[in-house]
Amino acid sequence: MKKIAKDRLPELLQKMAEAGKVYAPVNKGGKTNFSVWQPGDAADLTTLRSAVPAKSVLFPQSETYLRFAQQGKKLSIETVGGEADEYVLFGVRACDAKSFALLDKVFLSEPVDQFYASRRELGTVVAVACREPEDACFCRAFDIAADAPAGADVCVWDTGDDLFWLVQTEKGERLTARLAGLLEDAGAADDAALPALQAQIRAQLDELPLAALVAEKKHQALKQLFDDEQWLACSESCLGCGTCTYVCPTCHCYDIQDYDTGTGTERSRCWDSCMFSDFTQMAHGNPRKTQKERFRQRFMHKLVYYPNNYNEIACVGCGRCLEACPVNMNIVKVMKKIGGEAR
Amino acid sequence: MSCSCSTHKRDPLVPQVAVIDAMRVDTPDVTTFRVKKPAGGQAFSFMPGQCAMLSVPPVGEAIFSITSSPTEKEYMEFSIKRCGAVTDHLHALEAGTEIGIRGPYGNAFPVETALKGQDLLFIAGGIGLAPLRSVINYVLANRDQYGKVDIVYGARSASDLVHRQDLFETWPAAPATQVHLTIDRAEENWAGHVGFVPQFVKELGFSLDKTVLVCGPPIMIKFVLQGLEEIGFRRDQVYTTLELKMKCGVGKCGRCNIGDKYVCKDGPVFRCDELEALPDEY
Amino acid sequence: MEKIAAAVRERAKRALATGEVDRVFAWKRGEFWYDVTPAVFETADETDELLWDSFCVANLSKYLTGAVRQGFKVGVFVKGCDALAFNQLLQDNRISRENVRLFGLPCPGMVDPEKLKKAKRYRGVRAVARAGDVLALQGKHGEQQVEAPAYLYDKCLVCRHPNPVVYDELLAEPQPVRTPDSDRFALVNELEAMSAEEKFLFWQEQFDKCIRCNACRNICPACSCEKCIFDNGESGVAAKANADSCEEQFFHLIRAYHVAGRCVDCGECSRVCPAGIPLHLLNRKIIKDIQAIYGDYEAGLDPNVPAPLATYRLDDADPFDGHQKGGKK
Repeated sequence: MKKIAKDRLPELLQKMAEAGKVYAPVNKGGKTNFSVWQPGDAADLTTLRSAVPAKSVLFPQSETYLRFAQQGKKLSIETVGGEADEYVLFGVRACDAKSFALLDKVFLSEPVDQFYASRRELGTVVAVACREPEDACFCRAFDIAADAPAGADVCVWDTGDDLFWLVQTEKGERLTARLAGLLEDAGAADDAALPALQAQIRAQLDELPLAALVAEKKHQALKQLFDDEQWLACSESCLGCGTCTYVCPTCHCYDIQDYDTGTGTERSRCWDSCMFSDFTQMAHGNPRKTQKERFRQRFMHKLVYYPNNYNEIACVGCGRCLEACPVNMNIVKVMKKIGGEAR
Repeated sequence: MSCSCSTHKRDPLVPQVAVIDAMRVDTPDVTTFRVKKPAGGQAFSFMPGQCAMLSVPPVGEAIFSITSSPTEKEYMEFSIKRCGAVTDHLHALEAGTEIGIRGPYGNAFPVETALKGQDLLFIAGGIGLAPLRSVINYVLANRDQYGKVDIVYGARSASDLVHRQDLFETWPAAPATQVHLTIDRAEENWAGHVGFVPQFVKELGFSLDKTVLVCGPPIMIKFVLQGLEEIGFRRDQVYTTLELKMKCGVGKCGRCNIGDKYVCKDGPVFRCDELEALPDEY
Repeated sequence: MEKIAAAVRERAKRALATGEVDRVFAWKRGEFWYDVTPAVFETADETDELLWDSFCVANLSKYLTGAVRQGFKVGVFVKGCDALAFNQLLQDNRISRENVRLFGLPCPGMVDPEKLKKAKRYRGVRAVARAGDVLALQGKHGEQQVEAPAYLYDKCLVCRHPNPVVYDELLAEPQPVRTPDSDRFALVNELEAMSAEEKFLFWQEQFDKCIRCNACRNICPACSCEKCIFDNGESGVAAKANADSCEEQFFHLIRAYHVAGRCVDCGECSRVCPAGIPLHLLNRKIIKDIQAIYGDYEAGLDPNVPAPLATYRLDDADPFDGHQKGGKK
């Protein structure tokens, strides 16, 4: 294990940034989000959840990927955008790191989404353990270890004074080698301190209000869950905004739109929300006419459809939707209501 | 595609350029577009029932079933009804205009497996003939590998019947092939059947050993399926093809699912007993 | 507050049990202390889950648009800001007064869990009790008492109508107004003092955070269009892809102007914004200007008073003529 004094974090980020872009959680205009770190930016390791999840680095909210040029009847199509160089994604939490694995199942399955795949390949992910989990956190229901993030290339623990640095993969090894001048070897006392710190985090997780939540795949048939009469009651408070989908690290629905630049056409894809009334609107009608159907789609997707296709629930318990929903309707309430009262 | 750099591996969302070779006005609101690569030939190989995403910048993309048979190697055809921004724009184009095309998307009718050797009953309404025409022409191009062919087709009026040459000349002349036409309301110069497709199918009284392929407006499909069940057809004898709003075509954008199935990837062709397991949300 | 909560539950139970109303819109207990959801209650038995505490911030009035249209007799609990919203929905012809039983709740101001979190008062809290302006944070390791005003939503600190302006019955004693009305314009004054460029940069940084989730619009009692232009694919402005960096600016400025004169300043837009954009400042600036140009008018106070922006009078001020930017004469 390596370590570095916490107050030297800016130097560490500076060193990383010399080799390429570094995305880090930075507070701007009162909210912390992942953005390209600039010298002088203070990386925010206190805020647990970025307002927008870290998926935005792998799957940007809006990205232009094609440019069309028309001359008379002739058309040319050029691929643009994407990430071309290696970069570091610093400071993701265990829940966000897990969300990448869930997004992988969609975007890396055939036919592979090349824009996502290249970002995934070029990025080195540094995860930070959660020192102080919050009341809306329920990652443990999905066997996610907030004290020992999985799926990252490097794991970092904030001890208060130091950052412990533990390499997880070859990519992480390469990044660590580049930072050799800054990271020092941890001593025996540090090696002993880490398990203690992790135990302390786990003790906090035990105390959380949702600690006892069990997230297992519902046993009922798909159609039975679809027809559950609780959907109406659950959805009645839903305003039909897209907040839950946009702050969700596992939501991945997108729209494709053309934009007339005046001299040509740019085609972008952008996050979309199944909560919006126009999501499935077609010229001749809409199969999901009311908010009940749209609400049901979102949660059936997370709790039933995705698990049927990929053997896992599409939620990481990050708690963002619990915090962000304007009316506090959220996946925990749905998990407990649909398919019979759960624990 | 012009980009040849190594960072841009070909993404499934990136179309290739194709040219509208010819346009044929079928009905007041349906035109059939003949599309091929600028150098000629199909943009990609496909099977009957599969779809393609057509791009007309700056309006956007929409998915269409391929109405020509894969046995027609020189071009692909799309019968497109005007019903929205993309289709309006397509109708306003001229032959020779280049568009974007990507695909093929979705599964196909099981022409090489379950349909082989079977007597086939095609039931279509309106523009719903488009995907079935691909199968019909595929079957007729491999005539000895399939049994009898019956085609029941209806439209609102005689002028709304698409692919008239096939309906009135090519198909009736094909071996062991019968075409049964109907229009919704009686009109002058129409000596054929008048009435809705579901009722017409019942009246025609087909033998129950046929394999059925249905496509049309959702309401027609619903009543045809009901009618077939009443006559005694089993659901696993009947195939249909569905349409929902689509964006990516590759099962990722999350728009066209019915339950845990994506119409663009797991469909659009479903055997009707498979549909039974899915929620009624299409 | 607990006593009032019991009365609230009792009143809802009675209204449903006697058939006085078919449905009651109220707040329901959630998974933990600040997790309160608006809910529809249809039977007297369900009302045990009904709640009135320091986290009942969500406005229930907008839910009435659907229920009233369906012909139900409904009961609804309204705080001061909710009552203003109710009146505005009446004035906009989105709901009707008949078939609605309004239960008024004087509001002591709602608690912002985010402020407790920032003040490190959050850890281990399991319940929050309230007596007047004292919050009792009850946790596993005992109770700590804190002064409520430090933890109220900003919008509640400058609330000018804690008491419902319309109701059929009032379920508690009226609450005092905390601050003079002028206080709510403090930040507007600061913005007005900025140069045009500073203003632009301020709003650009704010709008850059926008994720176009539409929460501000969907919670807004003045945003009651059947179909918003931004949801209409054929409008040409529905772009979810921000092809231009100004897409968000269009959205928020158009929305601010569309609710001009109808915004009741409930502050919900800013409260629900997941990106933390102080959207209410746009509306407050317009409210301030309307007051400066047309005299005292408060949207939602009385649905029978004609709205200045919807009324033409020969002696109306001409802001393009007699006023400079910012509504100054």
